[in-house]
Amino acid sequence: MIKFLKLYEKIGIFILIVIAGVFLAIASPNFLKTDTILNIITQGTYGAIVGFGMVLAITSGGFDLSVDAVVALTSVFLSILIPNIGIPSAIIISVIISCCVGFLNGVIITKFGVNPLITTLSMATIIRGVSLLIANGKQIPISETRFSVIGTGKLLGIPIPIYIMVALFIIFYLLLNQTSLGRHISAVGSNESAARISGLNVTFVKIMVYVLVSFTASINGVIRTSQAMIGIPSMAPGFTLLVITITILGGTSLSGGKGNLIGAVFAGIFISMIYYGLNLIKVEYFYQLLSVGLVLIFALFVDGLRKRYLEAARIKGIKV
Amino acid sequence: MRYAKIAFIAVVCLVLILTVSFLGCKKEAAVEGGGMAVTTYANASDITIGFSLWTMQFTFFQNVEKGVKDACEDLGFKYVMIDQNSDATKMVQDINSLVGQKVSGIVVTPVDPGAIGPAVENARQNGIPVVCADIGKSGPINALMISDNFKGGQLAAEFLASKLNDTTKPLGLGNLLPQWTYARQRGEGFLAKALELGYDVAANIIVQNPSAEGGFDTMQQILSAVPDVAGVYFCSGREAVGAAQAIQASGKDILSVGYNGDPEEFQAIKDGVLNATILQEPYFIGYRSVEILAEILLEGKFYENVEVPVDVKLVTPENMDAIAAEILKKTGNSAFPE
Amino acid sequence: MDDFRFRKVKQNLGVFWGNFGLPLIFIIIVVVFSLSNPSFATRYNILSNFGFAAYVGIAAIGMTFVIMTGNFDISIGSMLALVAVLGSSFMPKTGGVIGVLATLAIACSLGFINGIFVTKLRIPAFITTLGMLFVFRALAFIYTNNVPVYISDRFWLYIGNGKLFGVIPFPVLLMGICYLAAYLVLRKSPVGRYIIAVGTNARAAALSGINVDNIKILVFTLLGLFVGISSIVNSANQGAANPGLMGQNFEFQVITAVVLGGTALSGGNGSLGGSLIAALIVTFLGNGMGLMQVNSYWQLVATGLVMIFAVSLNKLKFYLLGQGEY
Repeated sequence: MIKFLKLYEKIGIFILIVIAGVFLAIASPNFLKTDTILNIITQGTYGAIVGFGMVLAITSGGFDLSVDAVVALTSVFLSILIPNIGIPSAIIISVIISCCVGFLNGVIITKFGVNPLITTLSMATIIRGVSLLIANGKQIPISETRFSVIGTGKLLGIPIPIYIMVALFIIFYLLLNQTSLGRHISAVGSNESAARISGLNVTFVKIMVYVLVSFTASINGVIRTSQAMIGIPSMAPGFTLLVITITILGGTSLSGGKGNLIGAVFAGIFISMIYYGLNLIKVEYFYQLLSVGLVLIFALFVDGLRKRYLEAARIKGIKV
Repeated sequence: MRYAKIAFIAVVCLVLILTVSFLGCKKEAAVEGGGMAVTTYANASDITIGFSLWTMQFTFFQNVEKGVKDACEDLGFKYVMIDQNSDATKMVQDINSLVGQKVSGIVVTPVDPGAIGPAVENARQNGIPVVCADIGKSGPINALMISDNFKGGQLAAEFLASKLNDTTKPLGLGNLLPQWTYARQRGEGFLAKALELGYDVAANIIVQNPSAEGGFDTMQQILSAVPDVAGVYFCSGREAVGAAQAIQASGKDILSVGYNGDPEEFQAIKDGVLNATILQEPYFIGYRSVEILAEILLEGKFYENVEVPVDVKLVTPENMDAIAAEILKKTGNSAFPE
Repeated sequence: MDDFRFRKVKQNLGVFWGNFGLPLIFIIIVVVFSLSNPSFATRYNILSNFGFAAYVGIAAIGMTFVIMTGNFDISIGSMLALVAVLGSSFMPKTGGVIGVLATLAIACSLGFINGIFVTKLRIPAFITTLGMLFVFRALAFIYTNNVPVYISDRFWLYIGNGKLFGVIPFPVLLMGICYLAAYLVLRKSPVGRYIIAVGTNARAAALSGINVDNIKILVFTLLGLFVGISSIVNSANQGAANPGLMGQNFEFQVITAVVLGGTALSGGNGSLGGSLIAALIVTFLGNGMGLMQVNSYWQLVATGLVMIFAVSLNKLKFYLLGQGEY
C-alpha cells in the first residue's frame, strides 16, 4: 500500500490519463488515432513547457503570473526581427530579451522586497503594454515559411514541440536534481531564512528562477508564433491560469520546496486531453469548464488523502 | 458589553439609512418618456465628443477609433477617448466619467453591451446623446450602428457551398467564446444558411484561446473530430489565420473563411493560405457614429433607438485588390499589414 | 549617542510611514491628476470614483480577512458572476429587499462551501478556489444558458446607482458601513482576535482553545458575503448580470488591493484601512489616466509601474523600522 502511494505521488495523474483515455476511446471513434493522440500530446506540451519554469518558481516559494505577457513579447519580437536578421538570430535575441523580463522580476522581488504575486502581475501589465507599444498595436504576419517548421514540423512522425518538451524536461530534471542550483532552489523554497543563514546566495537563486520561468515562457512563445505565423501583442490571454493549473495538478506543493516536473508533463497532457476529448464528443464548453474544475478539486483531494495516510503511517512508526 | 452596544447602534443606523434611501429611491423614479431633451449647439467648436472604446489592442477597434477621431477632426469637434481595457466595470466608470467631463455627445463601443444600461441612462438624463458604435446596446439609446453579423455568417456558408458544390461534404465551425454574446449571430447565420443549403456542420467547436494560436489548436481538434472536413469558418480573423496555418501543416485541401477583414487576413488571402473573409467596416462605423451625433447636436434631428445596419462583404482572392483599393481610398489605411 | 538618535528618528519615520505612507501616495496621485486636468477634481468625478471603488473595495474586506488567516481565494471573480446571475434571476419573483437578502445568503453559502472544502476536506485554499474558479463560472453559464439577466428591480438598481440626497453615490455609503462593521469585528470583538491568532500561528491558536477550522470557515463565509455585496453593486452599475463577462480578473484586482494595502500574504495582522485606500488608488489611477488622455498602451505600463512602486514604498517602513529583510 505504502509503495503504491509513493508511486502515486509521481504518476497519479497518469492514472487519470488512462481512465480518461479509456472513456474517450469508447465514446469517440476518432480518439484512438495516431494524429489525434499526437495532437493531444502536442497541445499538452505548451502548458507543460512553461509548467517546468513554474515548478521551479513554486518550488522556490515564489510565483510567476507574467508568463502570458512574456509569450506575447516573444511573439512580437520574433515577428519584427525575423525579416531583418534571419530566423536563428531572431529566436536567440527574442529569447534573451524575454529572459531579461525574468531578470527584472527577480531583481524587483529580491532587491525591493515586493511580493512575487504583485511583482509578476504588475510586470504582466507592463510587458503587455510594452509589446503593444513595440508592435504599435498591430499584428504582424511572418512570411518566412521555414520558420513554421518549429511548431508544425515533424521528425520521424512526431511533432517537433514534443522533442522540445522532452529536451527541456531532461534539462530541468538534471538542473533540479543534479546541480547545486537545483538543491539551492529547494532549500530556499522550504526555508528561506535557514537557507540565508547557511550562506546561500538567496538573491542569485531567486533571480535565476525567474529568468528560467521567462525562458520557458519565451520557448513557448517561439513554438506558438511559429504555428500561427503571426506576431500578436495580445497573444495567449489566460495562459497563466492554465500553467498554474497544470503545475498544481502536477503535484507541485504550493508551500514550496518540492517540485514535480514529470507531474507537470502528465498534467499538461491531461488538461489538453479533457478539452480536446470533450470537443471530440461534442460536449458543450460550459461543461468542459465544469469538468476541469471538478477534476482539479477531486485529484487534489485524493492527493491530500494520500498525504494524510502516509503521515498517519509515519506516526505509527511504519517506515515510509 | 460595549461591543454589543456599538454593534446595536450600527445596526440601527444601517436600518435607518436603508429605509431613508429606499424611500428616496421610490421617489426618484423618473418618468420614462419617448426620447430625451438634447441641447443643440450653434458652433461645431463648442462640441466635445467622448468616445469609450472596448480596447485598443485589436485592429478592428483601432479602426473604429480612427473613424471616430477622423470624423471629429473633419467636423471640427473636440475629441476625448477612454479605453475600457476589455473591462465592463471600467466601461461603466468611463461613461460616467465622460458625463462628468460634460462632453456633448458620447460614442461607445461597449465590451459588454448588456451592461451599459444605467450608465447610458445617466448620460441621457444629463442631456448627452449616446450612439453605440457596433457590438450592441441595452436599454434606450439614440442610435446603434451594427454590423450585420448574421448576414456575415450566411455569406461564409454561401461561399463554402459555392466552392464545394457537394452537400455530402461536412463543414466545420470555429465559434467564439460564449461571453461575446453580440457576435453569436456570426455562428448562427452560418449554421442557418448551411442547414438551408443542405450541408452538415459536423464540428462546432469554441475557440477556447481567442488568439491565432488558439485557432490553430481548434483547427487540429476539428480535423480530429471530422477527418474529412472540407470547409471551415472561423468567427474571428485572428483565429482564422491560425486555423489556416494548421490546415497548411496538415497538408489537406480544406477551404477556410475568416471574419473581420483585418490586415493579416488580407495578407493570408494574398498568400493563398486563407480562402476568404467577411469584411466589416469599422472605420465607417466610427465615422458615421459621429456624423449621427453631429446631426443630433447641430441640427436637432430626432434619433431614438435607431438601428443602422452596416453591410458586410465577402472578400475573395478575386475581388481582394479592388476592395483593398477602396478601403485605402475611403480610410487612408492600407488593407494589408505595413 | 548620535547613532541612537538617528535610529530613533528612523523608527519614528518608519511608524509615520507605516501609518500614513499609503494615504500620502493616494493624496499625491489625486493632487497630480487634479493639477493636470480640471475635470478630475470635480465633486461629481471624485464622488463617482469613490462609488466605483466599492466594487473592489468591499470585496477587499473579505479578502483581507482571508489573507490574514494565511489563506487565499482566487474564485471570487467567478463567484461574483454566479451570485449576480442567481440573485438577479430570483429578483422578479421575490422582489426588492428579500431578493437582496437571499442573494447575500447565496453568496455566503458559496463562501461557506469554499471554507468547508478548505478545512474539512483539507484541500489547500489555493487549489480549492482554483477549482471553484472553473466550477462557479461554468455553473453561471449553465444556469443562464449564457443569456445575460437584465435587472429591473428598482431597489437592486438603487444599491449601485442611487444617490443619497442626490449627491453621494449609495455604494460609497455601503462601503463605509461595510468597513465600519468589519473594523468593529476585527478590532473590538473576540472574533477579530481569533482571526489574527489563527493567521499568526494556527497551531498556537488551536492549543489555546480556538477552533481554527470554524474561524477559517467563518472568514470564507464573510468573504462570500462581501463578494455578494460587491456583486450586487456591480450588477446594479451595469444593469445586468452577465455570466461570462462579470468579474473578469476581479480576483487579482482584489488581491492586489489587499497586498498593496499592506496585508502580508503569509498571514497575521492586516490592515483594513490599507485595503480601502489601495482600492481607491487603483480606481483613481484608472480614471485619472483616462482623463489625461494617456495612450492606452502607456496606461498599461504606467499602471504596472505604479503598483510595483507603491508596494515597494510600502515596504520602506520595514526598512526604516529595521524589521526583517525589508
